[in-house]
Amino acid sequence: MASLITCPHCGTRPKEEFSIRGAAAPKRPSPTAKDEAWHRYVYVRDNPKGRYQEYWHHVAGCRRFLVVERDNLTHEVFGVTDAAEFERAGAAE
Amino acid sequence: MSINLLHRHVLDDHISGFETDPNPNHLSVIRRPVIFSVLAHAGREAEVAEALWNAEDVAPRFCGPSEWLAVSRTVGAETVAGMLSAIAGASVVDQSDGRVLMEIFGPSVRKILSRCVAVDLHPEVFEEGQSAAMLCCHATANVARTGADTFEIIVPRSLAGSVFEELMEMGREHALTRGFAD
Repeated sequence: MASLITCPHCGTRPKEEFSIRGAAAPKRPSPTAKDEAWHRYVYVRDNPKGRYQEYWHHVAGCRRFLVVERDNLTHEVFGVTDAAEFERAGAAE
Repeated sequence: MSINLLHRHVLDDHISGFETDPNPNHLSVIRRPVIFSVLAHAGREAEVAEALWNAEDVAPRFCGPSEWLAVSRTVGAETVAGMLSAIAGASVVDQSDGRVLMEIFGPSVRKILSRCVAVDLHPEVFEEGQSAAMLCCHATANVARTGADTFEIIVPRSLAGSVFEELMEMGREHALTRGFAD
């Protein structure tokens, strides 16, 4: 597993400081969306091999949610952004 | 050693027996520090940070993008509270009873801390005056560099005992001494 994560607020930190909170890619459907859409959002997850976006909570540091883009095969980390910025970038698209 | 029963420190039980003269490597526990946590309201982070860094008698410690600890060893809680509540756009809470402030210094301080902290503390990376929240001895602590070979560690009160014991254990090789300071 990627063992060093460069937090945008705190700098380079070991993975022990973080808690992994699941995939960041799924988009929350609207409250009035069909049950199938909600079921897919809540329960159904891909299990990809390779590049992957995940929420990481920096529990022992700045306590911010981060989005870590990493390769779960080679352990390479491509980028770390604050979850608020990630959300804003997603809303802008 | 004088025992103040009104204000017993959590580490009183850990620091017992006669007090020796401090060695070059020394861990001092500040008996009654004033520690406030400061949270900036949304969108006002920059101005609160600036006001905090310009405040007198208070040392700001960075925790997160909108969160700081204000530490003072010279002035009382009321004075700090009055000063901090004057900052617009900030919420302030007194944490003095919930946090323990320790200061570790000496020529081997980086060797000792390298066993407790998984962060690079080289002076070029972690400069004097810099501070950050990090894992120290498996507990969430705020570590600040206050001098070339001086670090201040703030830990939650309930974890202070175990952090203190582990720091002492790691400093044993370097003859780390401990004691209270006012």
